[in-house]
Amino acid sequence: MASDENVLLQDLTPIRIVAFLCNWCSYAGADLAGVSRLSYPANVVTIRVMCSGTVSPYHVLKAFQSGADGVLITGCHIGDCHYLKGNYMTYKRFQVIQGLLQFVGIEPERFRLEWISASEGEKFAETVRDFTEEVGKLGESPLADEREAAKSREALMRRF
Amino acid sequence: MQAESKKGKGKSKKAKVESPIGAREKPEPKRSRVTGAAIVVGGGIGGVQASLDLVEMGYKVYLLESSPSLGGVMGQLDKTFPTNDCSMCILSPKLVEAGSSENIEILTLTDVLSITGKPGDFKARVRIRPRYVDVEKCTGCGICSENCRVKVKDPYNANLTRVPLIRVPFPQAVPLSAFIDPSKCLFLLKGKCGNCKEVCAAGAVNFNDKERIEEIRAGSVIIASGLKTFDARKRGEYGYGIYPNVITSLEFERILCASGPTQGRVIRRNDGKHVKKIGFIQCVGSRDKVIGNSYCSSVCCMYSTKEAIIAKEHSPEIEPTIFYIDTRACSKGFEEYTERAKEFHGIRYIRCLPSFAKEVAPSGNILLRYIDEGANIKEEEFDLLVLSVGLEAGTGEIAKSTGVELDQHGFVSSPPENPVSTSRPGIYACGVALSPKDIPETVAQASASAGMASLVMKEARGKLMKRKEYPPEREISPEPRIGVVVCHCGTNIGGVVNVKEVVEFAKDLPGVVFSDERIYACSQDAQEWIRDMIGKHDLNRVVVASCTPRTHQPLFRETLKSAGLNKYLFEMANIREHCSWVHMNSPEEATEKAKTLVRMAVAKASLLVPLAEGSSPVVHSALVIGGGVAGMVAALKLAETGYQVYLLEGQDSLGGKARHVRKTIEGMDVSEFIEKTITRVMSHPRIEIFLGARLKEIDGYIGSFRSTIEVGERVEEIEHGVVIVATGAEEYVPRKGEYLFGLDERVITQTEFERRIWCEPETLRNVRRVAMIQCVGSRSEEHPYCSRICCSVAVKNSLAFLELNPDADVSICYKDVRTYGLKEDYYFEAREKGVNFIRFNEEYPPSVGKIGEKIELKVNDANLSAPSHKYRLHSIADPSTQERSAPSEYNRSTRWSRALQERRLDALGTIPHLWNGTLSAEEIKLEPDLVVLSCGTVANPSAQEIAQMLKVPLDSNGFFLEAHVKLKPVDFATDGIFVAGLAHYPKTISESIDQANAAASRAETILSKEEVITEGTVAFIDEEICTGCGQCVSLCSFGAITFDEEKRVAVVNPSLCKGCGTCSSACYSGASRMLGFTPEQLYSQIEAAFLSV
Amino acid sequence: MSVKEEAKNLLGKGMDGVLFYQMKDGSAIPHLFTSKDIDEMPDVREIPDSERYPLSDILSKLLMRFSSAKFGIVARGCDERAIIELEKHQQIDTSRVSLIGFACSPELAKICSCSKPYTESLADEMNEAQEISRGIESVERMSTPARLGFWLSNFSVCVKCMGCRNICPLCFCKECSLQDEDLVESGVLPPSIPTFHLLRAIDMAGRCVMCGLCEEACPAGIPLRTLYGKVSEIVREELGYVPGTRGVKSPLEELGSSVGSDDDLKS
Repeated sequence: MASDENVLLQDLTPIRIVAFLCNWCSYAGADLAGVSRLSYPANVVTIRVMCSGTVSPYHVLKAFQSGADGVLITGCHIGDCHYLKGNYMTYKRFQVIQGLLQFVGIEPERFRLEWISASEGEKFAETVRDFTEEVGKLGESPLADEREAAKSREALMRRF
Repeated sequence: MQAESKKGKGKSKKAKVESPIGAREKPEPKRSRVTGAAIVVGGGIGGVQASLDLVEMGYKVYLLESSPSLGGVMGQLDKTFPTNDCSMCILSPKLVEAGSSENIEILTLTDVLSITGKPGDFKARVRIRPRYVDVEKCTGCGICSENCRVKVKDPYNANLTRVPLIRVPFPQAVPLSAFIDPSKCLFLLKGKCGNCKEVCAAGAVNFNDKERIEEIRAGSVIIASGLKTFDARKRGEYGYGIYPNVITSLEFERILCASGPTQGRVIRRNDGKHVKKIGFIQCVGSRDKVIGNSYCSSVCCMYSTKEAIIAKEHSPEIEPTIFYIDTRACSKGFEEYTERAKEFHGIRYIRCLPSFAKEVAPSGNILLRYIDEGANIKEEEFDLLVLSVGLEAGTGEIAKSTGVELDQHGFVSSPPENPVSTSRPGIYACGVALSPKDIPETVAQASASAGMASLVMKEARGKLMKRKEYPPEREISPEPRIGVVVCHCGTNIGGVVNVKEVVEFAKDLPGVVFSDERIYACSQDAQEWIRDMIGKHDLNRVVVASCTPRTHQPLFRETLKSAGLNKYLFEMANIREHCSWVHMNSPEEATEKAKTLVRMAVAKASLLVPLAEGSSPVVHSALVIGGGVAGMVAALKLAETGYQVYLLEGQDSLGGKARHVRKTIEGMDVSEFIEKTITRVMSHPRIEIFLGARLKEIDGYIGSFRSTIEVGERVEEIEHGVVIVATGAEEYVPRKGEYLFGLDERVITQTEFERRIWCEPETLRNVRRVAMIQCVGSRSEEHPYCSRICCSVAVKNSLAFLELNPDADVSICYKDVRTYGLKEDYYFEAREKGVNFIRFNEEYPPSVGKIGEKIELKVNDANLSAPSHKYRLHSIADPSTQERSAPSEYNRSTRWSRALQERRLDALGTIPHLWNGTLSAEEIKLEPDLVVLSCGTVANPSAQEIAQMLKVPLDSNGFFLEAHVKLKPVDFATDGIFVAGLAHYPKTISESIDQANAAASRAETILSKEEVITEGTVAFIDEEICTGCGQCVSLCSFGAITFDEEKRVAVVNPSLCKGCGTCSSACYSGASRMLGFTPEQLYSQIEAAFLSV
Repeated sequence: MSVKEEAKNLLGKGMDGVLFYQMKDGSAIPHLFTSKDIDEMPDVREIPDSERYPLSDILSKLLMRFSSAKFGIVARGCDERAIIELEKHQQIDTSRVSLIGFACSPELAKICSCSKPYTESLADEMNEAQEISRGIESVERMSTPARLGFWLSNFSVCVKCMGCRNICPLCFCKECSLQDEDLVESGVLPPSIPTFHLLRAIDMAGRCVMCGLCEEACPAGIPLRTLYGKVSEIVREELGYVPGTRGVKSPLEELGSSVGSDDDLKS
């Protein structure tokens, strides 16, 4: 019953996800998913970065603040990083951000890190499908209300 | 018949064949003239690649094409296997590059009449047929076509459509210009009409154009004449040309293509019916002695699998069935691709070739009769029958005019030691001109032949080169004036995404002053159009919404450059791979997403700034890792071209795995070749060899690497501009007890068998019965790929062994016989000589046991499958009745001569167990004296370490993964690093030599330059903001950031920076900025992702 | 020996000044004592618990301003940890610093939930203090929505005075992410919720020495010590790093993995 409601909720407010893809492995993997015509939900938009290590915690916070219901970072497998160890940084930062999100009451499931290689088109599609489903179950970001409130506060302040 | 097959060994005369590599290392002193230009005959992918490489090496190229446009057969393909890349998408950038190169003179409608002269100084007489349209003036607008009164069949669409006889050959044609097909032109024939000339505003139509004969001087010639497909009418039993629903695979390719006659819909052309059941018949015009093409065409198994998959993707209700003899899925990713076709896409494979097709009235369906795997005779109707036509050499004319010798199949004959050379020194060949092959092998040979040509012309390098001039970079206002181009990509994008809606949406985005659509944004005319739009609308930033920036960004950046815009003022939105292709079933959502992606790209574009490129010097030397065939050949090639080479080998001697090979299947003496090559390598003054050495550390980047090599106690540092990885592979070692291996000395590997045949033949004197088992350590769970060469090795050793013991029996237990290409002739020979081929199914692999002292090999002959054994035995027992009881729809393998059947009978006769009282189904028991295991090739375990050091990827099987499986077969994604030989995938020695020469050529494109240009997208540290905390210094993997003690700030060295951005994302104060991916740019993208539409 | 005597010794050994507090009108104010006024240096017990300043930050600025001078500092445990962390960030050259350590009162240690209210030099004499993290625990006991509610309501009273940042000994950037208009909208109160506070929390990861000055400085009473304490806990547990300890740098500022094998990361 509960899951049915979730599905319904999902239909009403489609969730929105931003995925950061490293140029060398994961973007190529996502390209391969395209080339292989592996379909996945359309509510994910991709941002290409050179290395998953380019993604700073600020970007993650910015995404949640801008309205993301989920944030996905994908990078080369450990050991495959085109820049040697950029993805180690990604992993360490990921741990801190996820712990912090959980502590302030944002479901950690909304933030995911996956290693996807250039040959893993299927894994990319599957990751997106799975992540969308998981975030879909959680529904809209709990910050959505806060964003609305902020807008009205802003409007109020602008008036003065 | 006998005599003919004897001749059919591919051992053609090699009268004056050039010695392996660089026969011209010492130019004759009396040669006075060397021309720094090459003639490339053929404008398909092979010719284009060879031309591009030659230009990068510093030579002018005359690219001759007999049709009106470059592109060749690859340009007609819809997709390429095994990645299903859009063929035109990956080819088009290369065509555009060739078309826009200052140093490639493209001569279309041109044939070679004769070539005289000698290496370094050839004179070619060429005939240029009239085009009747001035290429310089024509804009490709198409108005002439609209006003043309005569329509002719369109060869680009495999003659499936009719087009005006004045037309641009196809949308991505290079040169992008119309031409007149004179055969039916009313004006040219009767002086009537002339509409086209009247409507052409550019004044490009010229009815007075005349055939011209010209003379071209060139230092070398490369034949890349490509292929023609087999004329399916010659196999009349399939009714091609009679039944409308029997078509060739190339015609089907066009039908699948979005730009084809049915816009990619799989429908029948005579009645428009949607096709549900498609039958593919393999080997039409291949492996067929009767029609004269005894060879295997190498590519048909894969392309029909591809076409079946694509058809199913177009409409899932399509049920493709492929009728075949053996699946020849024997290259990188092919086996996995075929398995996926079976398992995931549900493509049906039936191992039987129906030998005739019949049209069923009134449906027009095609009836096939065949025998299924259970040996039941079946009749089945198909909506469409696709004949997988083989490849033939299109070399007749060029052989006459150049005087190069051909083999008995009509392919240019070449020595296995240097497969791209021909019988005429200074003239080289590549691609299908030499033998049937796929695109990556063609591309590798194209690069290899370019390198060979360079060796002939090296004295004149750079002499005839023109430099590309770009207009000065214009000053741009900070206020963005963004132009947006949305690409239809035929129907790849436009078929799903509502492009018009996206174009309109983009017009309202902040900063956008221009937005429009193109069918193919990557075509040459689109580049010119973009240039015009930049000028007309004073654009200072450009966004193209099309495909992946990974392949197409360079093309568009080049266009910006030529329009006087800094190339970094460009941004792409990937609305194909990341949108239309993955949201095919929800066009509305796809359109919304495309808008969002465009908005994000525009948001980022408005914050882009011009970036400066740097340059760094090139060290003119190479490091070659691995001293096997590939490594040595590459090293020699580079050394002979004039560069210092450091050759690193882990073992204590050179030669690698090839030292275990005596002869190739073609009869090349490998031992002699290796000895000679080692001597040449060792005595070459420009090669420094490190034996027993290990690469300890490597540092640097394209043009300037620094490596630490450990040789025992000694540690050496070397500097080099490029790296070639040729680390080879290993033979799979069977587990102890696998087929009794290691437990019984009569169970050996092919390598050992070959050694005994050549070195200890006396040990085989008493061996009467040999059983070989294929796919040991290949196509298994552990090693899912096909090792490509084992079938040929088994055939080669069988033949050699039968030379020793002509009366012996050889049985080969196999899954599929994969003697691809010209090696098929040897398979045929083996069958003729009585080698018994027993096919087994994966589920029932052979088993080897011991009964007393005897070895017993049991195998379930899949061709003698259960329900029909009586029938089968009957047919074997009396071959003369076979024709009657099982008419010709019997598996084509039985087409092999009566003699073969008899031999088989004899063979069975020597195996008494088969004829035991119960005739227990299909199990065959052999009592071999020797069991030979055809062991696969497995990746070199050291590859992992080297891959990590070089930061290059491995595939899932542990082989090195090239930058692009089709068009960059020897390049890595990381510039300046190349791969060759077994390190890349199992392959023959000749193929390794080709790849090694190709890698050397690609390396030469760098080494022949004085400097390489470094990217503008590097980190930058603002010293006003930097607090000097130093964390970026320790975060940089490449030592690109140093600390300025005086200013107490961090400083980036742009030529060391690889642009990963790890420093920038760690900098709290934002002092470190990754140019092209600055925080503001990424924030703007993120923000734009979530604005409501 | 009292700290004053120790300070005198340092001045006698060529130090140009000793940084500590001066008492003025009953309040403690940071002051650089030189040989002229060293006798006025108060005893550590005279400094009220509630009056602390980021002495390490002041020391850093002094060292930068007087590039050849040497300074002593009378430091608490947290001051010392900040100095160590600042040294790792090349903001303090400790070869020009001599440290006189003292221990905080047990009351202050309790208020600060401080696990190490003393300097290294006194470690042997002190009892191992217990980590008190009641704040973190009580938040963690809440349900996820309640946690969010708790923090949002706390953040919503923020007046963006920047006190937390200004007082922080580890905030030494010239440009601050909290003032980046792409991240935090300017001219709006409360500042972007929860981004503003999470940004700072992220910046504190691997740096925060748990001095608690931010929470003391916060006019809105936001439990920052709890927030940053949690971040420090994650860094300690996941990455094995405690800021303010001598030796290695924060794994967030070094390449490679500090904890676990590559195989752990691969899964």
